[in-house]
Amino acid sequence: MVKLIAPLLVLGFFVVPQAAYIVAEWEQAIVTRFGQPIRTVREPGLYFKVPIAHTVTRFDKRILATDAVPGEYVTSDKKRLLVEHISRWSIADPLQFFRTMRDERGAVARLNDIVSGRLRQEIAKEDFKSIIREKRAAIMEVVAAATREAAASFGIQVVDVRIRRADLPPEVQASVFARMQAERHRIGLRYRAEGEEKAREIRATADKEREIILARAYADSQRLRGEGDAQATAVTGRAFGQDPAFYAFQRRLETYERIFANGTTIVLRPDSDLLRYLETPRPRR
Amino acid sequence: MVMWRPPDQGFPDLQKYGEEVGRFLRRWGPARVAGTGVAAVLLVWLATGLYVVRPAERAIVLQFGRVLTQTEPGLRYRLPGPIQSHLVVDVAQVRRAEVGYRTSGGRTDPTPQEALMLTGDENIVDVHLFIQYLVQDPAKFLFHARDPERALHASAEVALRAAVGENTIDYTMTDGRVEVQDRVKRHLQGLLDLYGTGLLVTEARLLVVDPPREVREAFHDVVRAWEDRERLIKEAEGYGEDIVPKARGEAVQMVRAAEAYREQRLIRARGDATRFLTVLEEYRKAEGVTRERLYLETIERTLPKMEKFILDTGNGRGGVLPLLPLKGLGLDPGPTQPPAAAPPAAGARR
Repeated sequence: MVKLIAPLLVLGFFVVPQAAYIVAEWEQAIVTRFGQPIRTVREPGLYFKVPIAHTVTRFDKRILATDAVPGEYVTSDKKRLLVEHISRWSIADPLQFFRTMRDERGAVARLNDIVSGRLRQEIAKEDFKSIIREKRAAIMEVVAAATREAAASFGIQVVDVRIRRADLPPEVQASVFARMQAERHRIGLRYRAEGEEKAREIRATADKEREIILARAYADSQRLRGEGDAQATAVTGRAFGQDPAFYAFQRRLETYERIFANGTTIVLRPDSDLLRYLETPRPRR
Repeated sequence: MVMWRPPDQGFPDLQKYGEEVGRFLRRWGPARVAGTGVAAVLLVWLATGLYVVRPAERAIVLQFGRVLTQTEPGLRYRLPGPIQSHLVVDVAQVRRAEVGYRTSGGRTDPTPQEALMLTGDENIVDVHLFIQYLVQDPAKFLFHARDPERALHASAEVALRAAVGENTIDYTMTDGRVEVQDRVKRHLQGLLDLYGTGLLVTEARLLVVDPPREVREAFHDVVRAWEDRERLIKEAEGYGEDIVPKARGEAVQMVRAAEAYREQRLIRARGDATRFLTVLEEYRKAEGVTRERLYLETIERTLPKMEKFILDTGNGRGGVLPLLPLKGLGLDPGPTQPPAAAPPAAGARR
């Protein structure tokens, strides 16, 4: 029994681990015989090899990322810009990758060199404003395409390159803040001036409206008074016109009554019509 | 691959096996004992394939490293390692990422390095972005991209800075806030899909969009300036609303007064006319007498109040006569005719 079990144990614990290997879902591998590549394994599963002579080297099959790499770049309008870029990539050809890069760290360094160099070229073509505003994605496309081309020979497939941050250097920030303050100050002045402007306009409009309203009312009232005077004149004219002489007589009597106030001195002639009977019941005339 | 189901007894009772081992040793000798031992070890090994998937979780079963199946919550079994293995992913938990700040124990610490960014009009703005996401595809989440949650954080920054960089500071801080939020969410989801992270962004929210601390006061002053502006306008409107109705009132008052004037003029005129006509009617009946009567009545009302002199100027011809200031001499001019007036008058008579 022991004689039967012992070889099994040897097989189980020494030979199998040497001969069989598992490539996991997120992995890929190359098998080398004393450094000489024999096969590339890209699909996960259980595989066998010659023990000891063959060596398995595993690589990640997932999408990998470089760390953000900060660098200072100069734009076409000679402004300095701090840019951090991230590249995402995967190992498309493990064998090629193994031959040229050996491992991930080397690949990341190489990739970053390529991206930085290309990015420097592209940023130098554009001015500051367009990099911040509309050209960001376009620049990234160009850089990614160039990097993709260059990295293909390393067995690397570049998914994309992105600008994570694009900032001004700290010593420039202070002047940006100063400019922002000046700009806000300007906006503040404008708002207050606009308020004044609108307020004056509104007041003037209101004053104008008032003047117009009053003037119209004055015009209306003058017309109404005129109408009143005219109608009154017509009515009385019609009536008085029936006997102008009597009107003249009667109206004068009224006028006398009104115009001679208390204490008015009047000189009468004894032979006036009023006093014609004063001296004699039979007047001369 | 057919799944192996566990035997009914579940876990083997080790103590019982220990006793049995003793019995086997006595009864059947070392060979049989060794065989039974191997069987027991085999059973234990098989039992290590039991695993539990909790309600919020999904498990991925791998066979020799290859994805075999995805299992739902419950008590599950897989073949023991190294043949099969499983990985559990929480798919219901809402995960969160923070850009521009970190919360720890209820405290929020800003991270200016992340939070300060350039706007399209070359200003700097302080932005805090909050992201909620969950694992939508456990297999992709586990196997497609390395460290997907870190990828999410970096991509969130990429998306946020791109969106803020395309707009002006004022737009981002005010009207554009929701739009920027939506763009960040869409852009971020696009990147996550491109990298095959298996993550789904459920919410991207801009918590803070402020000017940097250094210039905050200047921005506050703009707000105050705007308030001043509004105040001035409102005051002016108040002025207008005060004087215009008053003017309208005054106008109506003027018109009414004029209307009143017109009406009263007419009414009075009619009265005058009526009076005149009435008198005229009577006058025509006896013209001479009435004329005399009217005249004398008026004189009676008028003359008593006046100071009267009766002077003879001779035959109706006017002339300048010496007139003594009789009143000034203290003589009572009285209601009676001053006789003193007669002599000079008489004297003047030619």
